[in-house]
Amino acid sequence: MKKVIIIPAAVLLLILVAFATTGAYRVPTLEVEFVEERPAVVKSVEYTVDGLTCRGKSRGFAGMISGVEGIVSLTTYARSNTAIVEYDPTLTDPVEIETAFEGPIAHEDEEDFPFKAKK
Amino acid sequence: MRVLRTIVQALFLAGVVAILVRGAMGLTTSTCETYCPFAGLVALYPLLRYHTYTCAMNELHVALFVSLVALTLITKKSFCSWVCPLGTVQEWIGKASRKVFGRYVRPPVAVDRILLNLRYVVLVLVLGLTWTVWQGDLGFRAYDPFYIIFTGFQGHETLWFSIFIGIGVLVAAFFVPMVWCRYLCPLSAVMDPMSRAGFLRLRRNPGLCTDCGICDEACPHGIPVATADEVSARNCTNCLECVEVCPEKGALELTLFGK
Repeated sequence: MKKVIIIPAAVLLLILVAFATTGAYRVPTLEVEFVEERPAVVKSVEYTVDGLTCRGKSRGFAGMISGVEGIVSLTTYARSNTAIVEYDPTLTDPVEIETAFEGPIAHEDEEDFPFKAKK
Repeated sequence: MRVLRTIVQALFLAGVVAILVRGAMGLTTSTCETYCPFAGLVALYPLLRYHTYTCAMNELHVALFVSLVALTLITKKSFCSWVCPLGTVQEWIGKASRKVFGRYVRPPVAVDRILLNLRYVVLVLVLGLTWTVWQGDLGFRAYDPFYIIFTGFQGHETLWFSIFIGIGVLVAAFFVPMVWCRYLCPLSAVMDPMSRAGFLRLRRNPGLCTDCGICDEACPHGIPVATADEVSARNCTNCLECVEVCPEKGALELTLFGK
């Protein structure tokens, strides 16, 4: 009955393989383009955001930054709680974008979308 | 064997309870479903068709689902009796019931056979509704005892009737062993074809077996071990309770590729 050890060994091995391979590929949870025509110069900033855990929250996040002039696109990854925002550097900057999703406007909807950038 | 399995079961159960407690304390946003392989299957359709995830599904769910398929091909449905916390809780409730009643209480064989197919109906309903009506959202959560129980009956999609489902499954497990796993679990239905082919399986040695039938009585899934040469039943979870109670050493043996 020594073969019984195969079961916990296989369980452990396959869980490790699952976790190890998870980082090998990344599929966005949400991709949004905010402009029809991309500006000449585009910069991008990546935030790790507490509360960005699913597609619904990603939509809420997109809604919050959509009012910022100069936002070009948003790509979110729920597994890593990350948001990559492309913006026009002549119109906005990362601080203004961060304020939009965790500042006073965001606080109005805090119960539904409690976003906070991880420093 | 039983000690080893109990340790593994207790570790996974402790893990899911730890997530629940840490979540309640605000220390993590993870929940029991963060590590649920069934979500990986649900995620496949939007992933393949739209190259995106819906709801809170992600790469880890898909990877865990693929791992589960591999595990089932190797060890049959050992996930159910070694890993799944809901399976563990039901098994322990079933054992308590066995102590009270002196044996497992089982429905008649004909009824059991019909009920065994309910899992496929649940699977089709869950996948169909998730991929159409619920538009990728995990609407099944409100009906899923794993989610309901292991979010402490307080998951954000736990509705008033969810509490009855959670408690109902636990109570029903006292009267019908492994009731959710056997009759309703959609993940169990997915694993059926792989489980039937599983390489690690029990073999009965007719030369040593005395046909006492103790193994049949000990099986929480009601598999007729005593009359099989090889246990290929789709519901065998390799819990090895039959081997544990067998009085004849070597009459039941675990074999890999028949050896």
